[in-house]
Amino acid sequence: MPNALALSHIHKSFDGFMALADAHFTARWGEVHALLGENGAGKSSLMNIAAGLYAPESGQLLVDDNPVQLGGPRDAARHHIGMVHQHFKLVQPFTVAENILLGQVPDNDDVRSYRQRLTDVRNAILTKSQELQFEIDPDQPVARLSVAAQQRVEILKVLLAGARILILDEPTAVLTDQEAARLLQTSQALARQGAAVILVTHKMADVQCYADRVTVMRGGRTVATINPGAVHEAELVRLAVGETLPPPLAVPPHPGAARLVLRAMRSSSHDGPPALNGIDLSVHAGEIYGLAGVGGNGQTELAQAVMGVLSLQSGTMELAGFGDLCTASTMQRRDMGIAAIPADRYGLALVGGLSVAENFGIGQVHSGRYGRSWWLNHRRMAKDAEAAVQTFDIKGVRSIRQKAALLSGGNAQKLVIAREFSRELRMVLVHSPSRGLDVRATAQVHERLRAARDAGAAVLLISEDLDEVLALSDRIGVIVRGKIVAEFGVPADRQAIGQAMVAHG
Amino acid sequence: MDILTNWLGNMPGFAIPYALAALGLIVSERAGVLSLGAEGLMLVGALAGVGVQLTVHEPAIALLGSMLAAAMVSILFAVMVVWLRVNQVIAGLALVFFCQGLTGLLGSLMGWTNMPVTGLQNLDLGPLVQLALVGGLFRQNTLVYLTPCIFGLVVWYLNHSLSGLRLRAVGENPQAADAAGIPVLRTRFLAILAGSALVGLAGGYISVLSTKLWIAGMTGGRGWIAVGLVIFARWSPWRAFAGALLFGCIEALIPQMAAAGISLPQYFVLMTPYLVTLGVMVWVALAGKGRDQTPGALGEPFLREERR
Amino acid sequence: MADLPLQQTAPSPVPPRVPHVPWLSRRYALELRQQLGWSQQLVIFVMSVLVGLLISGAILVAAGVSPQDILNEFVVQTLTDPQNLRAVLFQAAPMVMVGLAAALAFRARFWNLGLEGQMVCGAIGATFVSLHEIGPPALRLWLMAVCALLAGLVWVVTPVVMKLRLGINEIISSLMLNYVAVNFLLHLLYGSWKDPKDAFPYSAKFQPFERLPDFLDGFSSAIVLSAVVAVAVWWLVDKSRAGLYLRFVHSNQRVADAVGVPVRRMVLGTVLLSGALAGLAGFMVAAGQEGRLTQAFYNGYGFSGILIAFLARNNPLAASAVAVLVATLFVAGRSLQVFYQIPFSMVQLIQAILVICVASSDFFIRHRLRAVGSKG
Repeated sequence: MPNALALSHIHKSFDGFMALADAHFTARWGEVHALLGENGAGKSSLMNIAAGLYAPESGQLLVDDNPVQLGGPRDAARHHIGMVHQHFKLVQPFTVAENILLGQVPDNDDVRSYRQRLTDVRNAILTKSQELQFEIDPDQPVARLSVAAQQRVEILKVLLAGARILILDEPTAVLTDQEAARLLQTSQALARQGAAVILVTHKMADVQCYADRVTVMRGGRTVATINPGAVHEAELVRLAVGETLPPPLAVPPHPGAARLVLRAMRSSSHDGPPALNGIDLSVHAGEIYGLAGVGGNGQTELAQAVMGVLSLQSGTMELAGFGDLCTASTMQRRDMGIAAIPADRYGLALVGGLSVAENFGIGQVHSGRYGRSWWLNHRRMAKDAEAAVQTFDIKGVRSIRQKAALLSGGNAQKLVIAREFSRELRMVLVHSPSRGLDVRATAQVHERLRAARDAGAAVLLISEDLDEVLALSDRIGVIVRGKIVAEFGVPADRQAIGQAMVAHG
Repeated sequence: MDILTNWLGNMPGFAIPYALAALGLIVSERAGVLSLGAEGLMLVGALAGVGVQLTVHEPAIALLGSMLAAAMVSILFAVMVVWLRVNQVIAGLALVFFCQGLTGLLGSLMGWTNMPVTGLQNLDLGPLVQLALVGGLFRQNTLVYLTPCIFGLVVWYLNHSLSGLRLRAVGENPQAADAAGIPVLRTRFLAILAGSALVGLAGGYISVLSTKLWIAGMTGGRGWIAVGLVIFARWSPWRAFAGALLFGCIEALIPQMAAAGISLPQYFVLMTPYLVTLGVMVWVALAGKGRDQTPGALGEPFLREERR
Repeated sequence: MADLPLQQTAPSPVPPRVPHVPWLSRRYALELRQQLGWSQQLVIFVMSVLVGLLISGAILVAAGVSPQDILNEFVVQTLTDPQNLRAVLFQAAPMVMVGLAAALAFRARFWNLGLEGQMVCGAIGATFVSLHEIGPPALRLWLMAVCALLAGLVWVVTPVVMKLRLGINEIISSLMLNYVAVNFLLHLLYGSWKDPKDAFPYSAKFQPFERLPDFLDGFSSAIVLSAVVAVAVWWLVDKSRAGLYLRFVHSNQRVADAVGVPVRRMVLGTVLLSGALAGLAGFMVAAGQEGRLTQAFYNGYGFSGILIAFLARNNPLAASAVAVLVATLFVAGRSLQVFYQIPFSMVQLIQAILVICVASSDFFIRHRLRAVGSKG
């Protein structure tokens, strides 16, 4: 029985950064094969090569045991390879049918009119959707569909294009537990029909429950290919991560008075319900309040509102001793001792094109630490930045003048933390702090957050990673559709939290 | 009453260049390429039109020459923004000044400046000409009658053809289009050429059919107004047509005011199209605070492999 | 299974030996580069300028000017003839001003295409002071300058407020105002401000104390003024706190706002300053070269300003140097017009070619071609 897909000796680098070094991968027909690894292990890069989006520098690609060269996604489709990406490749204003029609390559003897083609596509969608129990309406604009539904459209798209090798890149990252289970069951059903389904994931639980085999990658290399049923989860973790870190010391928290109080916060909206639909929560000094929830339920808007980048329709946001923050500018909020570590590092925290020193120093420029308005003391700024690089263990800084964009994910995050934490803090807002970070960097970041809490700050942690929330929080809230639907103390019942995340408000 | 008739009769002549230029811009912008070079491409079309007309004395061929010349010059712009990923604003500005310099130089060297051409005869549309007031609208040259047909053709192409669907996809989400196997760069390149041909046609209209001669810089900012018109029309061809009619009405009003005996300071009257453009942009910004219909990827160069 | 060490930054292992593939049959992939060395960027820049100049030279030859004459006009004459040198420096003064104006606006991500309109307003403002004899003769010139500053500033208020308040694209709005300003100028010159002495559309001559005096024998004080302004702008951009804020606003406005930079204030202030400098440039031309308000004095300054800012990468000191080169181009262009009947559009064409070449060369700085395996 030939292998469905086989990649061997694959090398790929991006501008000097080696993403894949002699990577291997083999998938058989009729199996669900998981590709497991931490962020940055090279899983997505390898699969992008299989899907024809990247070209490898060297190595071989075999489909059904025949060597192939892929010049682009259309070549991959011709070889029956289809990929559903983490960031959907859907044109939002188009309908489902139009999106799927987009990918169809008409043969030379295909003389159907556009209207006829559209009708045929609609019928094909309805048929397949019924077969898989997807419930997709072909005439709906994609923008109106939920994230889970959009993912189903992506799957329909590759299936209707004839894919028999299906690659799903981190499919459960944006789904609730229920939706994720449904998707993984669908994968198994497709595998039983004979397709090869490849699940790129970093979630151990998904691997153990649904995969027939698992290939573990780490640092751009293939580490092992095993049957997940035969090993313990801890072994999988060891293979993916390389070492086990000691659990952090548990210090009992001493929460103080309420410091940040949000009441009935509502954001404005153009169509449909607002992202923030009446938020009520309070964070006390000396505590970490963890906000759990599936991505897309208002977390980003909440973080931006507290930062001062998003203006609200109604509601109040009070910082103890300073009154309502709603009208305060970002500079004023910083002066009040509010620190923000947003999820979108290069979109809201760091300017990639400017130097490390400048990105660090901008935090204190206003306070006059680096001179008057008509003459900045750049030397002092550089010295402070160098000291911070040492203190916060920021690696990869060859010179304090190099561009911030050159820092890897973890080190960029540490730079943001260095800037924000280099002063007295009353309140820390942190959103998805360990996204894209390896295990060691994550541990360092978590340590800093705990230290801030112990120094008396009120920490609002917003994260889509339930494990992170459970590990750090002193109190946990759940956000669904822009409202806080439940609150839990620690130790918290993971099942109850998961159920609250799924509840429809 | 006569003034009204004259005004309406002259209006299409002023509106058509705006309409054609805006349509050309819409085609390339729907594919995601911000095109600011209209002013320059219109000049190229205008000069080429006069040049060909003076050589072969055939207006239809002259207009084809306008389209071809503009498309060829736009290859420079297309190479810059599609392949070399130059910032589309800089490339557009450079194109305008390149064309201004080039047409000024060529027009002078070839001796085409200020040489009158014959233009086209007006075509009466049967008994419709007899209508009171609006009769003048039906005594226009062939290109005026062709323009709504061209609009219809482009609208059909964009909304009811597979190729048009692909072009719009490239403009909204080039990553998705690329993943679907659509050649993004080639699509944008061709969209620029096609759009520029239409813009060149607008220029040819001004020089060959309207003013009937060539003077350096004769478009006088109409290309820029067309750019504003496209934003005003929110990238919909028929709305752009309506906007062009509006500007045609305003420009046609200027000579009629003098005929009516209303004496306004000449240069203030000449300011009107530019002030109206400003006003229109303010109005759009104030009124249209709802759905944003800008093509999703307008102005961004496309590169498949990107990190960070 | 042996334990592999956790890698913080990936090392580069030795790739397996790839069989040699002939150059043309390799497939290439395009990649974004992260950073290119300073010296390499300079080399690419200089080469692109040379290519642009070569192309322009070729066009001139095709237009009927022999290569020796080109060299003579552009290089020899300008460098050796002191009269020419003075003319170049005289021309450079307002060029520096518009270059600085454009560069400042660009640093705030504002495309100030209304430089010509602002120059016109500046000149109108200065002429207003002269015609109405405001202030004593000793202060007249200063008052004219201040009025020009304010007029230029006022003329840019509308586009910048429209952008900040309503998000309206400033390219179109500032351009439209150019046409409005020019029409207003013509209205004045053909109307109430026309010189009663003859039939030409210009204003009455400025009085001697209303003209920019010579600083040294033959060298106008306009040059000193522009040098002072250039240094002031350089200080603002490089040494002051506002300069750092501007760098953030320019690189990423959204992050700048999130990090506490007063973005709207910076943009407003910088753009107003830009307009003021353009107005001052108008004053320099009117009170310097022309000696009165004329109808076409602003021609070519708009794009020149953008060209200068673009070539100088918005750096004030580099802009001054580039401005001198553009001034040379202008002066040589004028003699080409006089002696060889080449229309002044040639200068515009050369400028556009230079921008195209330099902009295109950016591609090589920002991207890299990578050979990937062999063609299938």
